[in-house]
Amino acid sequence: MNLEVFKVFAESNIWSALWVEIALVLLALGLLVLELVLPANAKRTIPSVAIAGQIILLVLASIQLIQMPDDCSGMYFSQMILQTPQSAIMRIFFLLGGIFVSYLGTVYLARRELPKMEFFHIVLVVTAAFMILVQSHHFVVFFVALETLTIGFYVLVAYCRTSSASLEAGLKFLILGGFSSAMLLFGIVLLYGVAGNPLLPGYSTDSMNFSNLATFITQNPTNPLVLGGAVLVLVGMAFKIGVVPFQIWVPDVYQGAPTPVTAFLAVCSKAAGFIVIINLLNGPFLGLSDVFIPLLAVVAGLTILFGNIAPLSQRNVKRVMGLSGVAHAGYLLAGVVAILCGSAIAHGAIIFYLFTYLLGSFAVFAVMAHVSQKEDEIQEIDHYENFAKHNPFLALALVCGLGSLAGIPPLAGFIGKLILFIAIFKAGLYTLLGIAILGVVISIYYYFGWIREAFFHIYAIGERGTTDDREQLVDVLKPTPMHALAIGVLVTGILVLGFYQGGLIDRLFYML
Amino acid sequence: MDWTKVFLSILLLPLVAALVNMLFLRRNGTTAALVSITAAFFSMVLAMIALFKCTERYSVSFPWLSLGDFQASMGIYYNPMTATMLFVVTFVGFLIHVFSVGYMSDDPAKGRFFTGLSIFMFSMLGIVLADNLIMMFVFWELVGFSSYMLIAHYWNTEEARSACKKAFIMNRIGDFGMLLGIAWTYWHYKTVNLQALEVFSSQPGFVIHGGIALLLICGFIGKSAQFPLHTWLPDAMAGPTPVSALIHAATMVAAGIYFLCRIFCILDAQTLEVIVWLGSGMVVYAGICAFAQTDIKKILAYSTLSQLGYMAAAVGLGFPGLALFHTTTHAFFKALLFLGSGSVIHACHHEQDIFKMGGLFKKMPLTTALFAIGTIALCGVMFTSGYFSKDAIIEVAYFKNTPVFILLILGAFLTAGYMGRLFYVAFLGSPKSQNSEHAHESGFFMLVSLVVLAGMSLIGGYTQGWAPFARQLVSGELDTVHHQIVSLQAEGLFSVLGILPWAIGFAIALLFYGIGAKKDALQNHLPSVYSFVNQKLWFDEIYGFYVRNVQQRFADILNFCDVVLVGGLLVRGTAGLVGVVGMMARSLHVGNIHIYVYWFLAGLIIYWSFAMGYF
Repeated sequence: MNLEVFKVFAESNIWSALWVEIALVLLALGLLVLELVLPANAKRTIPSVAIAGQIILLVLASIQLIQMPDDCSGMYFSQMILQTPQSAIMRIFFLLGGIFVSYLGTVYLARRELPKMEFFHIVLVVTAAFMILVQSHHFVVFFVALETLTIGFYVLVAYCRTSSASLEAGLKFLILGGFSSAMLLFGIVLLYGVAGNPLLPGYSTDSMNFSNLATFITQNPTNPLVLGGAVLVLVGMAFKIGVVPFQIWVPDVYQGAPTPVTAFLAVCSKAAGFIVIINLLNGPFLGLSDVFIPLLAVVAGLTILFGNIAPLSQRNVKRVMGLSGVAHAGYLLAGVVAILCGSAIAHGAIIFYLFTYLLGSFAVFAVMAHVSQKEDEIQEIDHYENFAKHNPFLALALVCGLGSLAGIPPLAGFIGKLILFIAIFKAGLYTLLGIAILGVVISIYYYFGWIREAFFHIYAIGERGTTDDREQLVDVLKPTPMHALAIGVLVTGILVLGFYQGGLIDRLFYML
Repeated sequence: MDWTKVFLSILLLPLVAALVNMLFLRRNGTTAALVSITAAFFSMVLAMIALFKCTERYSVSFPWLSLGDFQASMGIYYNPMTATMLFVVTFVGFLIHVFSVGYMSDDPAKGRFFTGLSIFMFSMLGIVLADNLIMMFVFWELVGFSSYMLIAHYWNTEEARSACKKAFIMNRIGDFGMLLGIAWTYWHYKTVNLQALEVFSSQPGFVIHGGIALLLICGFIGKSAQFPLHTWLPDAMAGPTPVSALIHAATMVAAGIYFLCRIFCILDAQTLEVIVWLGSGMVVYAGICAFAQTDIKKILAYSTLSQLGYMAAAVGLGFPGLALFHTTTHAFFKALLFLGSGSVIHACHHEQDIFKMGGLFKKMPLTTALFAIGTIALCGVMFTSGYFSKDAIIEVAYFKNTPVFILLILGAFLTAGYMGRLFYVAFLGSPKSQNSEHAHESGFFMLVSLVVLAGMSLIGGYTQGWAPFARQLVSGELDTVHHQIVSLQAEGLFSVLGILPWAIGFAIALLFYGIGAKKDALQNHLPSVYSFVNQKLWFDEIYGFYVRNVQQRFADILNFCDVVLVGGLLVRGTAGLVGVVGMMARSLHVGNIHIYVYWFLAGLIIYWSFAMGYF
C-alpha cells in the first residue's frame, strides 16, 4: 500500500467522534495518577472524582443527544466505527450504569479492606469498552472491545481477593469466558475465511467489515461454513447475555462476584450483548434470518421458562437476581425475534425495556449492597425479615425495584413490558407472547416472596414472642445522604417513567 | 395569567403536602396539620382567583400514554360547573382542615390524618378538573382509596374496620360498571374527552347509546350511595367527624352528581328516568330511615342520602345546573351540621347518642345557634340557601313529573321531622348524661369554621351574588323554572309549599317527641313501626343473605377448586415440577467446571444442528 491509501484511511479517523470514550479512559488514567500523587488522607476523594467525572460526561452526552440532528449516522475510522442514534442513546445507558456501579462500589468497599481505586478505574475502562462495542462495525474492533471488557470483568468478579467465593467465581468466569471467546473468535475466522474466498459470489477482501459480510451472506445463505461461523458467533454472544443453555455460569458467578459487579454484569453486560446481537442480526446476519428466527424463538421461550422456574426455590437473593435476569434476557430475546419478524416498534421497545431494567435492577442491587454482610455471597431472603420496619426508605426502594422488575403498574417496568409485549404481539409471535406472559405471572411469586419477607411479619407463636420485639437478623448499613440521593433518583425514575413517559417512547420509535 | 399553571397548582399543592407529610412528618402531627392547611388555603385562594378572573371555558390536555392509535391524556376542562365545584371543594375543604386542628387535637395519629385529608383533596380536585373519563376514573379510584383510608382512621375499632371495607367494596361494585362504561364509550364514540363528547352530542344525527349511559351511572350510584349501593354511607360515619363532613357529606358523595352533570350530554331519556326514580325514592326512603337512628352522625348521614336524592332527581329531570346548585348549598349547610355535631361530640367526650345529650344550648350556645342555622337551611326555611336550591328542584318536578313532585314534598316534610327531632332532643331540655353535663363550648379553630359555614348557609343561595361565570350554570335554568311556574300560575301554590312542609314537620316533631325527651317516642308508642323503620328495608340483611348463601357457596366451590385443582394439582404439581427442575438445575449447577464446559459444547452442537436444519 502506498501513502495515498493511508491518507484515505486517515481521513476518516475523526477522533472527536469518540470523545466520550476517550474522556472516560482519560478519567480512568487520571484516577491512577491521583492515586500516586495524592496524600494518603485525600485518597478518599477518588471515588467522588470518578462519579463526578461520569456525571459531567452524562450531562454533556445528553446535551449532544438532545441536539443531535435526525440524520446523524456516520462511519468513522475506515468503516470500523458506525455511529447511529442507537449508539448515542446507549452511551447514556452505559454512563448511567457506570455511575450507579460506582455508587454501589462505594457502599461495598466501605465495609471491606480492599484496594479502592482500582475498582473505579476498571469500571470506567469497561464502560468505555461497552460504548466502543456497540459502535463497532468491524470484527477486529468488535473483538478487541469485547475482550477489553471481558478481561475487565475477570478482574472485577474476583475483586474480593480475600473471599474464596469471589475467587472461585472469577476462575469459573475466566474459564467459561475464555471458552466462549474462543468460540466467538473461531466463528469470526470461519466467516472471514469463507467471505474472502474469491470463488464465491459477493466475496470481499475486507470481509471483517459488517457491510461487506452482509453482502456476502445475503448471497450465500446456505453455505455450511457461513452457517457454522454465524452460529459460533451467536453462541459467543449467547454466553454474554446468558440465554439457555449458556446461562449455566450465571448463578455461580453472580453469587460469587461482589454485589456491584453482579449489578454491572446483570445490567450493562447484558444490555451490550443485546445491542450487539441486534447489530449483528440486523446487519451481517440479516441473510440468515430464516434460520435464526425459529432458533432464537425456541431459545427465548426456553430461557423465559427456565429463568422464571429456577428462582422459585432459591433462597439466596443474588442467585434469584441472576436467574431472574435470565428471564429478562428471555423477554428481550423475544423482542429481538420480533425485530427480525419486522415489528417496527420492537427496536425502540427493547431499548426502553433496557432502561427500565437498569432502573429496577440498580434499585434492588443498591438495597442489596446495603444489606450485604462481610460474606457478600451469603445474602439470603431471610436477611430481609423485619426489613421495612427498620429501613423504610430502603424498603421503598426495594418495593419499587422489585415491582418494576415484576412489571407491576404503575412502575416503569410495567410500561417497558407492555411496549415490548405489544411489539411481540404485532410481530405475530403469539406462542412466544403467551410464554412471556406466563413467565411474568410466575415471576411475581419470587419477587413478591422477597417483598413479603421484607414487609410482613411472620407470626411464629410461642417461639420468639410477639413480632414487635423481634429485631433484624442482620446489620443493615444506613444510606449516607449521597447514597440516599442516588437511590432516590432511581426510585423517582421508576415512578415517573411509570406514570408519564412524556413522548419519550415515541421519540425512541422515531429515532431508531 | 397562565391558567394551566393556576389549575395545576390547585391540583398539585395538596399532593405535595401529602407527600411531605407522608415522608417527613408522620410523627409530627402539628407541623403536618400546618402543611396540609397551607396547601388547602392556597388551593382555595387560587380557586377563587380562577372563579372571578377566568371567565371563559378553558381546556388543556397533555398526552399521557400513547399506544399505537390509543391515546390517553391528562387534561383540564374548565367550565361553569368546574368553577363552582372548585370553589366549593377548596372552600369547604379548607374550613374543614381548620376545624380538624381543634377536633383532632388529642389524636396521636394526626400526621396520618392530615396526610389522608391532603390525598383526598388532591383526588377530589382531580375529578373536578378532569377533561376525560379515563383521568376522571383514575382520580375516582383515588378518592375511593382516600375515603377508605380515612374511614379506617380509628382502625383499632371493629366498627371502623368493617365500615371501611364495606365502603370500598360497595364503591368497587359501582366502579366496575363505570369502568365498563368508559371502555364502551371509547369503543363506541371513539373518544373519552368530555369536551369532544359535548361537541359530538350537539351535532345533528347523534344517537345516544343507552347501554353506555346505564353503565356509566353505576359509578354515580356507588359514589353517591344511591339505591342499591347506599348501605355503605351510614356505616362510613365510623370515621372521624371532619372526614364525614368533608368526604361523606360535602364533596365526595357529591362527586357522583358532578359526574352525572359532566356526562349529561350522553345520558339518554331512559337513563334519566332511572336516575329520577332512584333519586326521588331515596329522598323518602332515607328520610324515613333517619327516624330510627339515635346516633347524631347517622341521622345526618341519612339526611345526606336524602339530599343526594334531590340532586339526582334534578339531574334526571334534565336540570343539571340545579343539581349542582343544590350540591353547593348542601355542601355549606351539611358541612356546617356535621362540624356542629363534631363540636358537640367533641364537647361530650365522644358521646354520639342524641338521647344521652340534651340541654346543650345552655352549655354551648354558639354551637347551638349555628347548628340551628344549619338545620333551617337544610329544611329549606324561607330565605336560607337550602330554600332556593331545594324549592327550585321541587318546582321542576311540579311541571315535569307529578309523582316525583309528591315524593319530593314528602321528603321535605320528613327532613323537617327528623331534624326537628334531633334538635329538640339533643340541644333543648336538660342534660341526660354525665358527658353532656360537662359539655363546654368548643375552641377557636372549630368555631371559626362553623361561623363561616353558617354565613354561607344563609347567603349561599342568592345567586345574584355569585361570580358571573359560575352563575351561568344556574341562571338559565332558574329562569326557565320561573317562567314555567308563572305560566302555570302556580306562584301562589309555591309560596304556600315553601312554608308548609317544614312548618308541619317541625310542629309534629315537637308534639310527638317533645323537648329534651329521654326515650325515643316512636320506639315507646309505636314499637312495631320503629322496628320496621329500623330495619331500613332489610338491605343489609338481604346483602348478608346474598353474601352468605350465594357468594359464600360460590366461594366455597371456588375454594374447593382452589384446594383440589390449584392447590393440589397446580401448586403441588408445580412444586413437584420445580423440585425436578431444581434437582436438574442442581445437577447442572454442580459447580464443576468440566461439566459446565461440556454443557457449553452440547449447547453449541444443539444450536448448530438447529441452524443446519437437523431439527
